[in-house]
Amino acid sequence: MDRLRKAALLTRLIEGLCSKGDWCGETHVQKTTFFVQELLGVPLGFQFILYKHGPFSFGLRDELTALRADGLLELEPRTYGAQLVPTKQCGYIQGLYPKTMAKYERSIGFVVENLGGKRVVELERLGTAFFVSNRLEEGKAVYIRANKVTELKPHIPTEKARDAVREVDRIVSAAIAEKQAAISAGEHGGVRIMRTEQRRQ
Amino acid sequence: MPGNFHEVRDPIHVFVRLDTEERSVLDSAPFQRLRHIHQLALTYLVYPGATHKRFEHSLGVMELASRVFDVITHSESVTDRIRSLLEPLVSSAKLQYWRRVLRMAALCHDVGHLPFSHAAEKDLLPYGWDHEKLTRQIISSNAMKSIWNSITPPLRHVDIEKLAVGPKNATDLEFTDWETILAEIIVGDAFGVDRMDYLLRDSHHTGVAYGKFDHYRLIDTLRILPQSNESEGLQEPALGVDEGGIHSAEALMLARYFMYSQVYFHPVRRIYDIHLMDFLKEWLDESVFSTDLEGHLKMTDNEVSAALREAADAEDKPGHLHARRILGREHFKRLYEWNPDDVQINPESGKAVFRALSERYDKDQIRHDRYRQGSGAPDFPIKMRDGRIVSSLDISETLRTLPVVSVDRVFADRSIFDNAIKWVNENRDEIIAPEREEAGNG
Repeated sequence: MDRLRKAALLTRLIEGLCSKGDWCGETHVQKTTFFVQELLGVPLGFQFILYKHGPFSFGLRDELTALRADGLLELEPRTYGAQLVPTKQCGYIQGLYPKTMAKYERSIGFVVENLGGKRVVELERLGTAFFVSNRLEEGKAVYIRANKVTELKPHIPTEKARDAVREVDRIVSAAIAEKQAAISAGEHGGVRIMRTEQRRQ
Repeated sequence: MPGNFHEVRDPIHVFVRLDTEERSVLDSAPFQRLRHIHQLALTYLVYPGATHKRFEHSLGVMELASRVFDVITHSESVTDRIRSLLEPLVSSAKLQYWRRVLRMAALCHDVGHLPFSHAAEKDLLPYGWDHEKLTRQIISSNAMKSIWNSITPPLRHVDIEKLAVGPKNATDLEFTDWETILAEIIVGDAFGVDRMDYLLRDSHHTGVAYGKFDHYRLIDTLRILPQSNESEGLQEPALGVDEGGIHSAEALMLARYFMYSQVYFHPVRRIYDIHLMDFLKEWLDESVFSTDLEGHLKMTDNEVSAALREAADAEDKPGHLHARRILGREHFKRLYEWNPDDVQINPESGKAVFRALSERYDKDQIRHDRYRQGSGAPDFPIKMRDGRIVSSLDISETLRTLPVVSVDRVFADRSIFDNAIKWVNENRDEIIAPEREEAGNG
């Protein structure tokens, strides 16, 4: 996917997160983009590693900085940290790519619906729990995955890690249902979800 | 000084002190090679003083890394909460081990650089390779391992690799929070000493004073802090500063901004980098540098400079034209540059201009230079005098409003320049208009 199409999708995601929650900072975007790409299969091409507050992509961070340089995002202060605010220019860029927007609108909407409005600390836990469930301990029991979360991020208490793993399982199930609905409607399905489904069978 | 210690005079840090094991790294072939790698590639063609090398920079990074380590691990700087999250902080033996690893990693962090540093890297290595991968290969080589193993206790080469290149460039390795913080000391976006040293050193040698900042004050105020003091906030430890260090942190970020604008992205410096890359592509076997250790160690700026001179004088030598552009100062001229008005229409306007010109003229007469600043907004925790932890972006308008450096330029050969710029100016709107998708079901 070329850079401007990616910019159109990212800014749409950020708009959704801003409308759902009271603010949207870089951590919100990092974690939700991880779900958009890895769970819903939107081919954004970012490489995520386990780093600051869970899954993190240096490429995405650079891209968010570039979007500020291009006048598509602005930084505004808030109580802790700064929020990313899409500018009016985003509508123009999104308008250049109606097919791309239509193709992935539903996937972005799903992530906004399920993760929008969550606090950064919750997104850190959910992102880490999904990273562990999807890449490190796939198919393992809840307590094994929760222990791995705590091992990787010692500041996350075990009980919170267990809650996060269960919530991730719920989101994955909902994503599978969403994918089936999308296929019924003749829309994009999502590669990752298919993989997740196969693992479960 | 006791027999086990050695001193090197340095224009930035006055003295850099190292022990005998560190001295053996300094004496090793990979490190000695850095005496022949310019820190700023061909920048000396624009700023004549910029002839310094990666050798002294690497020593400076080691010196600053251990200064930072000593400050942030000092018992009075560490809270019980942080101690409970970072286990090596409670063991003096572990602290000693990691201090040694950090200094070695700092010393070795640039050993994988290709001739003329960054200028030559892009597209000049086989797929999947970069200078960080070469650095890791050298650190884990048998010759270097014999040094790591001779130390008591022996140093694990993988620990040195992790800290030398950081999580971004060692995605195959798992980093603990402690290792992440130590890697941040060297290569971190906010307070990495690699950047601190190169800003100070490049500023000194280029004569561009913008790069200076109060690094003494900044380092003294660095702390390991949670991202937030709220019980439901982010608790993962990260490098931050005490409130008293905020202005020196701002000065560092401003220094970075000005040095990028004035030196690193100077248009003539950038086009010389491009001409050098063009030359290397024609001159090198199969257009790439060797990733074999022996081949890498043999290749320095000296070999490339000699080849440049030879090629510039002989029309039949590979890369003749590009060598002449560099040595004859016949570099391409800047024809188009990123500007706020065009970006409103097409954020990739430079690419559009480049494509249009490439269709109209010989491709070899046009070059596109696109570089966007990496790293995010400078968001790090600050410990206020009343004990609260706040974000740097909350209390510093300077950091919040710091411009992002972005380069999007098109250069043209002098022979077509006047004609080409006239054509672009006459057809600008049409040239930069972005492609649109037709509406329809995806």
